[in-house]
Amino acid sequence: MAPILRTEKLSKSFPTPRRGEDVRALCDIDLDIEEGEIFGVIGKSGAGKSTLVRCINFLERPTTGEVIFDGVRLSSLSKKELYHTRQSIGMIFQQFNLLAQRSALRNICFPLEIAGADGHKTRERAQELLELVGMGDKATSYPTQLSGGQRQRVAIARAIAANPRILLCDEATSALDPETTRGVLALLKDINARYGITIIVITHEMPVIEQIATRLAVLDEGRIVETGRTSEVFAAPKSEAARRLLIHPEDGLIAAAARHYFEDKGVALEEVIRDYA
Amino acid sequence: MHSFFSTYGSMLLAGIGETLYMTLISALLAYLIGLPLGVLLVVTAPEGIRPLRSFNSVLGFIVNVLRSVPFLILLILVIPLTRLIVGTSLGPSAAIVPLTIAAAPFVARLVEASLAEVDSGVVEAAWSMGASPFKIIMKVLLPEARSALLLGATIAAITILGYSAMAGIVGGGGLGDIAIRYGYYRYETNVMVVSVVLLVVIVMVLQALGNRWARLIDKKASAPAGMAFGLFGSGLPLRSKHSEETNKGDEHNENDTDD
Ligand SMILES: Nc1ncnc2c1ncn2[C@@H]1O[C@H](COP(=O)(O)OP(=O)(O)O)[C@@H](O)[C@H]1O
Ligand SMILES: [Mg+2]
Repeated sequence: MAPILRTEKLSKSFPTPRRGEDVRALCDIDLDIEEGEIFGVIGKSGAGKSTLVRCINFLERPTTGEVIFDGVRLSSLSKKELYHTRQSIGMIFQQFNLLAQRSALRNICFPLEIAGADGHKTRERAQELLELVGMGDKATSYPTQLSGGQRQRVAIARAIAANPRILLCDEATSALDPETTRGVLALLKDINARYGITIIVITHEMPVIEQIATRLAVLDEGRIVETGRTSEVFAAPKSEAARRLLIHPEDGLIAAAARHYFEDKGVALEEVIRDYA
Repeated sequence: MHSFFSTYGSMLLAGIGETLYMTLISALLAYLIGLPLGVLLVVTAPEGIRPLRSFNSVLGFIVNVLRSVPFLILLILVIPLTRLIVGTSLGPSAAIVPLTIAAAPFVARLVEASLAEVDSGVVEAAWSMGASPFKIIMKVLLPEARSALLLGATIAAITILGYSAMAGIVGGGGLGDIAIRYGYYRYETNVMVVSVVLLVVIVMVLQALGNRWARLIDKKASAPAGMAFGLFGSGLPLRSKHSEETNKGDEHNENDTDD
């Protein structure tokens, strides 16, 4: 089966304000995402994760390389076609990005309005989605009246309202506490299982990947340094970047594999943690 | 006291009417011109949704030039144009022409500043959902900025009111005209004082209405939209940006917003 999403030698450079070397945010990214899977991309801050998601839906145009969504090269599309295609690629964000002046319900109506739908059918669908994300009683609440976790649930409902094939999640749980994070990730898993929506999860937190992704890619300084099944990478990380990410600086938790690796090297764990944090 | 109002009452009443007429019609026309210009300024800015570098600089330049012409000079410069449009250069209807021309670029900047306050993340979300630039303007920028736009409109109306009083110098009509004719030319200070007091009252009522209405339609601010009671508001309703942004682990904040 052809992958739902593929990137071919995707690179992105940003011109620096002053003339000089461009910032290479992404370099030759090759990814194949299969329909229906939950794929994780992990990397530390500044690795190029956000740039990668933004290139996937062409919010950012790649400098070179291709994004192929459902067999279509995004670079070959006209503006209008691109806008239309984006309706099939949902996205959620760290800061939720809800419309502050719209109620939860009307936030969910928004992508449907963009797709040209209107009227009470739209509102019925929005209400269904609110119930799906466990927010059925919050239809008339405004974003400021909701907690972070609740806002992200509304944002998820909004992102899947137009029946996208893929859902992109850029640090979707990074502003949430661990417990709320687990709830939101469970919801994403549920949506994936129910509707078969492919999900790409981008994060700097290994626990998030561990909980939700079946496969992952490790991004480091704009390059993919490792890909594999989550269980395999966690058991035996091949790249230095992956090993480092397995160390959780906040509570000093270290995955068994990383512990062995550093002990073999004869490095004190405290030192590694200090370096990392 | 009684004789004062029986002598001047109807004239002052007419003055109030003329002042409101000039102010509101000019504000309306200024928004007809200034609102699209302000939208264009934001949309075509380098960080806007449809960057157009040179167009943006030219438009910004024209707006700046128009804004820097002192109103009194503009008043006189546009007299031929006023005659052409209204048929006369005297009276409240004639004053609308220079008032509109003076206010439109000011309005453009007010609108620009209000729209620039809209969270860029929300605009990004709209892009990601496949919105076109036009849809982003109509469904994101303008509705999300509605409260700031309304406060801006209040400032614009009050500024126009102030200018309309100046238009009195060239016989523009309204309370300003009365204040100048009686106070300055005929030394009837009490008429001037009453006219000025009436102007102040109108300003305060406009500002209070604007504030209240803006707060009513703002679903974002949990606290009252803070804006000083400035007469000729030079500033903008600068809201604390993202004041209630993400709080980590906040399953428990039930803000009691006032609606
Ligand atoms: N619009 C931009 N202009 C210039 N540099 C950028 C821009 N966006 C991202 N970068 C740079 O690209 C690199 C990757 O950034 P980003 O994708 O945001 O990383 P991450 O999301 O992994 O933290 C960083 O060095 C960042 O400074
Ligand atoms: Mg990022």
